[in-house]
Amino acid sequence: MTTDIETISMLRDSLERYTAEQYDFLKRWRVLEQPAGYSAAAWQNYAEFGWLALRLPEEEGGLDGDAVAQGAVMEVVGRRLLMEPLLASALLATGLVVKLGSPGQQAELLPALAEGRLKLALAHEEQLDGQSCWVEAGQLTGAKQGVLHGDAANRLLVTARDERSELQVYLVDATGEGVERQAYRLVDGRRAANLRFFGTPAERLGDEGSPSAADVLATAFDEASVALCAEAFGAASCLLEITNEYLKVRKQFGKPLASNQVLQHRMADLYMLKEEIRALTRTAQQAMLLPAAERGRVVSGARAYICHAARNIANEAIQMHGGIGVTEELEVSHYFRRLMVNAALFGGRDWHFTRFVESTLKSA
Amino acid sequence: MNKTLRDRAQRLREEVREFCRHEMPAALRDKSHRHQVLDKDDYLQWMRLLDAKGWVVGHWPQAYGGRDWSSLERFVFEDELARHGCPWIIPFGVKYVGPVIYTFGSEEQKRRFLPGIVKTEEFWAQGYSEPGAGSDLAGLRTQAVRDGDHYVVNGQKVWTTYAQWADWLFCLVRTGNDGKPQNGISFLLIDMRSPGVTVKPIHTMDGYHHVNEVWLENVRVPAANLVGEEGAGWTYAKFLLKNERTAGAIVGLAWHVLERLKKLARETTRDGQLLIDQPLMRNRIGEFELRFMALQEVAYQAVESMVEGTDNGGEASLIKVRGTELYQEVAEALVEALGAAGIAYDTAALHSAGLPPLGDDDVGGILKEHFYNRAATVFGGSSEIQRNIVAKAVLGL
Ligand SMILES: Cc1cc2nc3c(=O)[nH]c(=O)nc-3n(C[C@H](O)[C@H](O)[C@H](O)COP(=O)(O)OP(=O)(O)OC[C@H]3O[C@@H](n4cnc5c(N)ncnc54)[C@H](O)[C@@H]3O)c2cc1C
Repeated sequence: MTTDIETISMLRDSLERYTAEQYDFLKRWRVLEQPAGYSAAAWQNYAEFGWLALRLPEEEGGLDGDAVAQGAVMEVVGRRLLMEPLLASALLATGLVVKLGSPGQQAELLPALAEGRLKLALAHEEQLDGQSCWVEAGQLTGAKQGVLHGDAANRLLVTARDERSELQVYLVDATGEGVERQAYRLVDGRRAANLRFFGTPAERLGDEGSPSAADVLATAFDEASVALCAEAFGAASCLLEITNEYLKVRKQFGKPLASNQVLQHRMADLYMLKEEIRALTRTAQQAMLLPAAERGRVVSGARAYICHAARNIANEAIQMHGGIGVTEELEVSHYFRRLMVNAALFGGRDWHFTRFVESTLKSA
Repeated sequence: MNKTLRDRAQRLREEVREFCRHEMPAALRDKSHRHQVLDKDDYLQWMRLLDAKGWVVGHWPQAYGGRDWSSLERFVFEDELARHGCPWIIPFGVKYVGPVIYTFGSEEQKRRFLPGIVKTEEFWAQGYSEPGAGSDLAGLRTQAVRDGDHYVVNGQKVWTTYAQWADWLFCLVRTGNDGKPQNGISFLLIDMRSPGVTVKPIHTMDGYHHVNEVWLENVRVPAANLVGEEGAGWTYAKFLLKNERTAGAIVGLAWHVLERLKKLARETTRDGQLLIDQPLMRNRIGEFELRFMALQEVAYQAVESMVEGTDNGGEASLIKVRGTELYQEVAEALVEALGAAGIAYDTAALHSAGLPPLGDDDVGGILKEHFYNRAATVFGGSSEIQRNIVAKAVLGL
């Protein structure tokens, strides 16, 4: 399944046009100031333009977007540092509903997701290692942490063990009884939540006909990782453009900073890193069609490399801006913080690096 | 290196350690352990505590209330404090302008200003950088025009740390435009309450207000507040920058953050294994330890060469570049190792004893420091400028 090129370029163009008008850095300030940590109005616009249906099958009026199509969106997310739960809800959680949900659940959830009425967040990570949340007789008990947009979501997808100790995904009303939410800001201004469940009513996502939840989750995390690669590419490209421009206009010692060869070389290195990010993102997108083991190897390799490369670019962008680089006022520090958050999502660099090394040595 | 000097430095280190462990008031110790945001009163308390020990101006000559510390003692003092995670010694009075005043100032200026600096009764800020004069400090344009027994000052300073608390600003101004840009710079002491002084906050990415813009509009400064000679300010500025770069603190800071990384690695299980037992983490910590050892040894020997007068002028740059770059990388690794806790940021909790959303009570402070210290390779002479100094002054390139 591949999304055709025209659909992708339309998607990219419309997002770029919209965000250029509605989500430039100055307008984004107003979003940052909102207590919700994202713009409800923008979210509604995304729904109207059909972007929230990106992950839906065509039968449901969706775009059936593959990794490349998702990447086109995520690249703009990275360029503009969009705050809305596109990754958390429209890609990751919606993807889980598409792959795991029973026909009844899909019929109920997918239209609401596409219309923006419903926001989902996936609660997966736990404080102690492993998965200790469990469901018994339809009631969920346990705790999750660091749930991206966990406070904005109306409903949650929660990973937990069923009575047979198998990993499942459960659908939980986020505002209902037996859920405690502790919401907080991330360093980049988006929000997340820690959650506790006390016998909370939980409905399994899927039925007898659904594939293994563990397999679907593993694919979904890889898909999210690939989306983050594309986002990193968008952010890194912008940082490079901004820094390049700054070095040309900022003068010290009577000449532009750009005339210092040492800075020219540093920029050349950053350019190379950015091109590597681009290439690896594309490779990782294509790897989503490969068998699980090879897919994981390539995706984790890309992710590990890109985390490092993007951080390098962000650090250097700050350094070459001098004092202004560490201010709240300038975009640069916002890209820095976004990349810092993203590097910690869905497995940090070490996790991906280890996965890459292990599976490379196994397959060699 | 003279053994008596070494012994003295070692004794000082032990005294400082004792003080950090047993004499720091609990409230201040807790705040600084958590890297909480300190307000002016916290700093006042801290500086006065150090003064009570006779340390805050230990590096000054005895004639002005100091202890005649050698560079080594000064280094050891700053290093040890930083290792214990103590608050910053706000340098503008005690380290920067004080020595300029007692070295180049008039008797009247010494009488007027030095006691207030020693006792931290007056707060100082450093008015060097301008929008157009960062690395190229000599490019500064703030004008001071003589008018009878006053100067009339116009211009803008930027990045002025804690100007919002300052009573006084020591300021580089342009009094002449002849020849090289370094000529015609003068060193003025400006009362922050003078009409025409406006302070505007700049927020840094840690979410706080450390730095400012300082606007000077027709500010009348008594000519008696000129330090030394008109037009000789660059000499004093360079003298001061040399003091700015004697960075014992950076070695201690690097040590402190590395210890914190090891503590976290020993206490955190991830993917079924303690971080400290994971090969990647062991390797990383090992590399950091190795670089720290090199930093520490090079720093010590550099400081000893300063005491002996065999230094070549590149030592301070070496310590600053290696120290700040190591510090930043360890802090980055620490934040990364925190996982989900390393991206959660509750700025309100940093003003109180509140807990961060995830992780230990110092996690918010760790992030705050990580953000702020991205600037450690920018201020006090950026890493690029330090390398230029080494290339030119030491290597003759
Ligand atoms: C948190 C903070 C606190 C500060 N506190 C004070 C204060 O209290 N008082 C005060 O006066 N100033 C203060 N400063 C200012 C600080 O000294 C300047 O930021 C510093 O001198 C760099 O100047 P700049 O920011 O204008 O950067 P620029 O000089 O514009 O430099 C931008 C980048 O270009 C590089 N660069 C510049 N020239 C060269 C060259 N020739 N070759 C190679 N690379 C070059 C720099 O290294 C840097 O990476 C503070 C700054 C910060 C960030």
